[in-house]
Amino acid sequence: MNAPRPMSCAEAFRFLDDYVDGEMVADELAAVERHLEGCRSCTDEFEIERQLLEDIRAKLAQTRMPPDLMTRIRALLARE
Amino acid sequence: MAQPRPTDAHRAEFEGLLAPVLERAWSTARRLTGNAADADDLVQDAVLNAFRGFRTFERGTNFRAWFLRVLMNTFLSSKRRHRVEDGALSLDDLPNAFIQRQAHEVVTAASASPAAPGDVARTVLGKLESDQVQAAIDALPDEFRTVAALYFLQDLPYQEIADLVGVPVGTVRSRLHRGRALLQKRLWQLGLDHGLVTPRRRNA
Repeated sequence: MNAPRPMSCAEAFRFLDDYVDGEMVADELAAVERHLEGCRSCTDEFEIERQLLEDIRAKLAQTRMPPDLMTRIRALLARE
Repeated sequence: MAQPRPTDAHRAEFEGLLAPVLERAWSTARRLTGNAADADDLVQDAVLNAFRGFRTFERGTNFRAWFLRVLMNTFLSSKRRHRVEDGALSLDDLPNAFIQRQAHEVVTAASASPAAPGDVARTVLGKLESDQVQAAIDALPDEFRTVAALYFLQDLPYQEIADLVGVPVGTVRSRLHRGRALLQKRLWQLGLDHGLVTPRRRNA
């Protein structure tokens, strides 16, 4: 059986979003991982993308609810 | 037949389960609605809906997931009542990894630059205030903002987002990828506007 054709950088990059989200199907994941094993540049870029998304997530997590929200909710529930 | 009035123990149990998940729920509501006042209204409506349906909550299962579903149902039915169509938005030409691609161009254009594109990309994002990042996501069109809020704040897999929003998983994938590209484009533009990165000089 022939070995699968190696993936190019451009082909691997098309899977970037699914890859960093852990949303790939097994055969495509294997192909991307084979490419990353031999490509330092894509490995770095995939890792940076993952870090960028974590940075965005961390900034968004700094949203704080109003300090009196739970008090208002308790008052609301007391009327039920 | 009328429901019996909730007992103090029933109320205390509900509040005890709600308190640890409220902060995250409000943050999600804040991003879903795009402003604090509507987030307050959404969370309070969802709390009332959840409390009225609390007898159906299966004890020992995940309250956070159950409450998130109630929150999303409340949000989606409110949106249906106040439907506002987003303007047509073409994202066909917007590539993924937008910030990295731009950082590459900046570094390539600056011949003596010692910085790696990844460092430039993360530095720009790191220097943006959290308020600016939050405003950028709030400015996304509704359909992208909804999936982005669940993705970034609830850290859910695509299938769970699809179940909550009531669309096929392929739609979630497409909206999330395109919304993310649009978000990155806006964040990069903010970096340029605030002088956090020097724009690529075009050849005369």
